[in-house]
Order: sequence, then C-alpha cells, then structure tokens
Amino acid sequence: MYVIKTSNISPQNTHNGQFMQQTISYTGNKYSAIEPDYTAMIRPAQLRRMGKCIRMGTGSALPILQDEDKLDGIILGSSEGGLEDCIKFLIQIVDYNEGTLTPTNFVQSTPNALAGNLAIMSKNKSYNTTHVHRGLAFENALLDALLLFDEQKAETLLVGNVDEISEYNFNIETKADQYKKEEISSDELLNSQTSGTVCGEGSSMFLLSSKPTNAVAQIVDVSHICYPQKEEIIAFTNTFLSKNGLIPADIDSVIVGRNGDCKTDFWYDLVCDEMFKTQNLYSFKNLVGEYPTASAFATYFACNLVAGKKAPKASIIHECTVPKTILIYNHFKGEQHGLILVKQSQL
Amino acid sequence: MDIYVTGLGCISPLGFNVEENHLQLKTERDGLVKSKYLESKYKSEKFFGEVKMDTSSLLQKVNIPNKKGLTRTDALAFIAFDEAIHHAGLLKKDINDSSTAFISASTVGGMCLTDELYRDSNLHGKNSEYAQSYNCAAHTLRITKEYQLKGFTNTINTACSSSANAIMIGMKLIRTGRAKRAIVGGVDSLAKYTVNGFNALQILTDKKCTPFDVAREGLNLGEAAAYIVLEAEDVCIGKTKYAKILGAGNTNDAYHASAMSETADGVTACILEAIADSKISKEAINYINAHGTGTQNNDQVELTGFHNVFANIPPFSSTKSYTGHTLGAAGSLEAVYSILSIVNNEMYPSLRVTNAIPDCHKMLVMQYTNDIEINTVLSNSYGFGGNCTSLIFSDI
Amino acid sequence: MDKEQLKKELINHIITYLNLSDYTPEEITADMPLFGDAGLELDSIDSLELIVMMEREYGVKLTNPTEGRKILIDVNSMADFIIANKK
Repeated sequence: MYVIKTSNISPQNTHNGQFMQQTISYTGNKYSAIEPDYTAMIRPAQLRRMGKCIRMGTGSALPILQDEDKLDGIILGSSEGGLEDCIKFLIQIVDYNEGTLTPTNFVQSTPNALAGNLAIMSKNKSYNTTHVHRGLAFENALLDALLLFDEQKAETLLVGNVDEISEYNFNIETKADQYKKEEISSDELLNSQTSGTVCGEGSSMFLLSSKPTNAVAQIVDVSHICYPQKEEIIAFTNTFLSKNGLIPADIDSVIVGRNGDCKTDFWYDLVCDEMFKTQNLYSFKNLVGEYPTASAFATYFACNLVAGKKAPKASIIHECTVPKTILIYNHFKGEQHGLILVKQSQL
Repeated sequence: MDIYVTGLGCISPLGFNVEENHLQLKTERDGLVKSKYLESKYKSEKFFGEVKMDTSSLLQKVNIPNKKGLTRTDALAFIAFDEAIHHAGLLKKDINDSSTAFISASTVGGMCLTDELYRDSNLHGKNSEYAQSYNCAAHTLRITKEYQLKGFTNTINTACSSSANAIMIGMKLIRTGRAKRAIVGGVDSLAKYTVNGFNALQILTDKKCTPFDVAREGLNLGEAAAYIVLEAEDVCIGKTKYAKILGAGNTNDAYHASAMSETADGVTACILEAIADSKISKEAINYINAHGTGTQNNDQVELTGFHNVFANIPPFSSTKSYTGHTLGAAGSLEAVYSILSIVNNEMYPSLRVTNAIPDCHKMLVMQYTNDIEINTVLSNSYGFGGNCTSLIFSDI
Repeated sequence: MDKEQLKKELINHIITYLNLSDYTPEEITADMPLFGDAGLELDSIDSLELIVMMEREYGVKLTNPTEGRKILIDVNSMADFIIANKK
C-alpha cells in the first residue's frame, strides 16, 4: 500500500512541516506535543467537548480529511484513547458518590471516540475500526489496512494513531519505574545508562492508497510478535524479510525505537548487531518520547526519508547512504515487538 | 476457501460454559439479577447480567500458576479462551504456531477495578498489583504470554461492536492467507465505571430489559467472555465443524457519538455489506440475532434497518433479554448463540415482550422455537461512536 | 431568588458546564433557543449536562427525559422551572 499524504502532531514541529529541518531538544521526562491553533479548522461547537487526545487526533487528521471526499475507511490505533477524560469521569464517580454525573467525559473516554468523531466530521459512513493493542495498536491498524487492500475492499484509507500524556497514566507508569528519575537532556537520552525512559505523545495520520499515483512512500508490510525469546527475534525478523523477498542486505536503513532505557534497549542491539551492522541507523524517541503507538511517528519519519528529505542530525545514529528501503523495529517495554517495512515509492 | 468454526467457549450470566448457556437459552431462563459482586451503589437498584461467581472463585478456575494482577475481566477471558481451544481440540503446537492468530476485544479492560484505578492514578500510596492490568489489551497480552502465542495478536475497542470486529479481523487474516487459524472474541466485566457512564446517559432501566417491546425503557448491563476458533479449510480436515463464517460488514453511522440515526444509515449499509461479502442472497438469511439493547433509540433504528434491507424481514430476536448488554463481549457471545442456533435449528426469543413494536411484522421471535431449519444467521452489533458490524454464519 | 439574577447565573453556568468558550455571557440571551439550528445548537448530551448542572447548582432534580424537553427550551424556561421547584 502507498502513502499519499502524511500529517502529524508531535513534540517536534511536525504540524507545520518544520521538523526535518530543525529539531527541538527537551529536558525532563515529559515531551509534550506542540499543538497548532485548532480554531482555524475545528468549529468551536465541536472543539468545546474535545479532550487533548481527540483534539490532537482531529487536528492531525483534518488536513487529510478536508481534501479527501472519497475515503473507504478510518482505521486508528490508540493504546489508551482519551485517558484524561476517563479519569475525569472516574473522579466524578468518587466525588459525587455515584450520583448524577455528566456523561461527556464518559462518551469521550472510549478509545473509539476519535474514529467515530472523524466519521461524523467527514460524514464518512464506511469502514471504521480502532485498535487498542497497547504497544502494537498502530501495527495492527496498518495490518487492518493491508487486509482491506488485499481483499480489494478499499482504494483509499485514513490510517493513524493517537496517544496522549495524561497526568494519571504518567503517575501509574512513574510508580512502575517506566520513566527516568533524573533530569536528562534529550540529546543525552540514548546514551543513558539508567533504567526508564521519557514520556511522549502525538498523532500521525496517513492517507493510504492501493495505487502508487502521487505516493510519497510505500508501506510494504507489517508484522509483530509478543514476548519473544532473545533468539526468536532474529528468526522472526528474517522470516518477515524473506516473506517479502528480501535479505538483510536489501535493507539500507533501520529506524529503531531506542528510548534510553538500559533494561530494554538491548533488543535493538541484538537485532542490529546480528543483521544490520552497516546500515543507516536512526532513532526517534529522543525527539518524541516513548508511548505505545510511537511507531506511527517512526513511520511518518520513514516516509519523509524515502521521499528524499534529509534526516535531522538528532535522529542519526549512523548514516552512510541515501535511505530507500527502511525497516522500522520498535518494541514496547520489551514485550510487544513490531516491524514495519517502508520503501521508496516507484515513480 | 471456506473458514470453519471448530470451537466455542463462553462464560456469561447464563453459565460457566457453552453447554450451560445453551440450556438456559432453550429453557427461556434469563441471567438478570440484582448484583451480588459489583461494588456500586446501584448493585441492588438495577438488574445486571452478572456471572454468578465472585472474582476469587473465578480465578481459581484459571489454570495458570501466577495469578498476580489478574482482574475479573482477565479471569472471564481465560476461562472462555480455554474452553474454546479445548473444544476445538487445538494441540499445543497449533496454539504456539505463528500462523495462529489471537484477536480479542474489550471496552472496560481492567477498569472493573474502578476504585483501584482511582487510587493508582492519583498517586495514593504504592501502585497496586493491578497497575498494568487496566488497559483494554491487558487480558489479551496475559493470555498471549501464558499460552505462548506467537502469531498475530490484537485487541479491538469499537465500543459495543468490539468483539464482532475481532471475529471479522480473524476471518480476514485467514482469508488473505496471513493466518491459518484464529481464536477470536472478547470480554468485558461489570464495572462501577460503565454502570455510572450508562446511567449518566439515562439508558439503564430499573427493570429487566425488554428489547423490541413498545414500552422498553433501556438496557441492563452484563458481563461475559466468549471466543470462537476459526480455521481455514485445509487445517481442519476431518475435525468436527460447527458452522462456517461467511462474511462481515463494517460501517459507521456518522451521526452522533452516542445515538443512531433515525434513517438507520449505518445499520442498513452494514447488513448489506455483510450480505455482499458473504456472496449470498438476502433471502438466504433465516434468522437474525439482533443487537437489540432495549433502548428506545437502538431497537427502533435497527428495525428500520431491517426494513431498509429486507422486503420480508426474517425472524429476529435479541438474546440481550437473557444476558443484558455485555458490551465488548456482546458480539462474540451472540456469535456463539448464533452458531448454537444453526447447529441445533433453534431460535432463542426476546424474553418478556408483551407488546412488540408494531412494524416488527410479527417476525420478532417471542418463544423458543426448534421446528424450522436454520441455515444462515445474521448477527448485529452496534456501538457508541457510530460503529456498526454485522457477521453472517451458516451451516457447514 | 431574583429571576433576572438567576438567569445571569444560569448563563454563566451553561458556559462553564458546556465549555462554550466561543460565547461571552452577553452573547447568550434568555430567549435564545438552546437546541435546534437557531441559537446555541446544543444536542442530547448537552441536555444531560444541563440536567446535572441544575441538580448540582440548584438542587432541582429532573429525572424524566421527556419532561426535560419542555424545560430545556431556553434560559427563561430553565429559570421558571428552578424557581418553581427549588426547596
């Protein structure tokens, strides 16, 4: 399947297209998204009910939806959906002792609220799904799109992700030692020798098509595995490549989800040391932080690279050639591992 | 290539396994009660489709060594999953094969522990053992880990159509050759969170629900887990087969966040798409397991959809009158019931209907029926956010 | 309570509860329809929010949704209902 257009809201200046030229550094363990002025695109009557998650997702999707009147589906991946709304409703339950409660937070808190909202805003009555498989929610959204294209049930689809930093999620994960205790600059994050990472958020949206016309990139395939043994991950990666008629040497670039957590970054070394020693190597979580659907940002980044844009310095671990065939390898907490294969679109 | 249903598993207000569920369905006995185990001030005010066992006893039925952090949702999922794979006679090597997919669904996840989530998320004391259990995918990942599943895994949340979509995705993975086998379904347990959410929307009735009755006043919430095993023709040769999955439709009503359009746009398109995807004629459908929640809005709109699609609507009923609305589990639980209909040539009624909506055209099934042949069943699921899914199963 | 004062208060509560950030209190008049294409263009979820607002702020309960349609016409009708039912 082919990527015709991308749109993005992230802790980098992606909403205005400046990201590849200039990156922003962060300190601390929260990388918050830079949100555009939504009032220009979302009616106040609609904006007033949106929590951050829905706002970001809508803001990211609208530039694509606005120009596209014939979409065959909306497919999203989100681990948590509007968690902020969810906990707001929870607090209402406790504060008012299950009395008369306002339903807006409840309705907005379901992870499928964004896809439903986008359908209403664009009057799109076609296929509509939301995948919530935590660290593989976006990979599954891509897989869903592949299935539709395989069966020739769709020609164009909107596929994307959203996850927000919510105070509450951040609290739970902080206590579970998911985030670094020390203040560290994003420029140093990947060299960190301590456990934990930094928290990020964002929404990437892709207009996908079954045809290559006007494509910026091709998403060839996607796969995933949960709880692999160390030796399994190499075999799994090899199987994925060979299923697509490739060997490791055919891959010229790898984008890894390295996040500075000394407990789990070894997975990336394992795969790269064994299979991709000389390839270009890029990172992205030092730019946008860690979140369950962060691989959507990596996909956005890969699309930009194969479209010929130069990688920002902060993302380069090692670069020696022009990226044309990119493998994205990302895992979430060392438990859920995903592979996405992105290629330059044949003109 | 045909895709067969080779195993069923469910736990619901009607019983702890498929056989117990079937008996209750046949004998027209609902599972709606004043709640015994829910921690909510509404537990004795409303009726609930509650699984008749406390959480720690349910956990004793879960056959894994380490049960730390397991919630009621997880327990229900494990029990139904285990029944389904045993019913299908799957061997360990089948389960661990990378061509076996596991697609689940949930809307509540571990939020059945509403109070624990409140404490954990507001930094009250140390994290509870459930800190990683709240997410909708928690049960899927726990099962994936314990059973060492290596193929595609996924969790879907499209509100009340979630597990119908899990079944659809599993079917597509097999159709496109990306999997040979898929264990598909979903789970949800009763939670203070959802009880208060639905109550705030004023769609819970204080009585037992009466889907498709003129005087229906709303829905009852329920809890359940249900999984079915789908297998490609070439990997289930010689095995007992219960039904075929023919096709699915998925649309969005694109009308309102929590109500359906009077014109039933989403419902109509969804059924039509399922019929087209199944490559059958409309007339082939001889029974509909309706979404039928018992709210004014849903039942009327769904019926409008039937009339939009069918010149003569087939017999239909809502088994939510037995189980209440089991949310993320409803689609797969009703898929199990639809398959039981096919296997046994039975229709399970909408219970307690005294005055059916006039334009039902007498097709609302109001008592247990086993004297007509059921070959092809349509099962509908609709959710907040406008999500519509229809599945079609047939005899083998 | 003075009805004019109550109406002013109600308008402020409506803005807060429904997060109508694009309106100032002056822009909402007491006879402006709450629902429908003219006026505030509120929907069914908003009506539930308004019912909660009346209960929390004024202690008046409105349990029957059909009754709600007669009361939630505009700020005038809401004020009348509150004055008639406030204990």
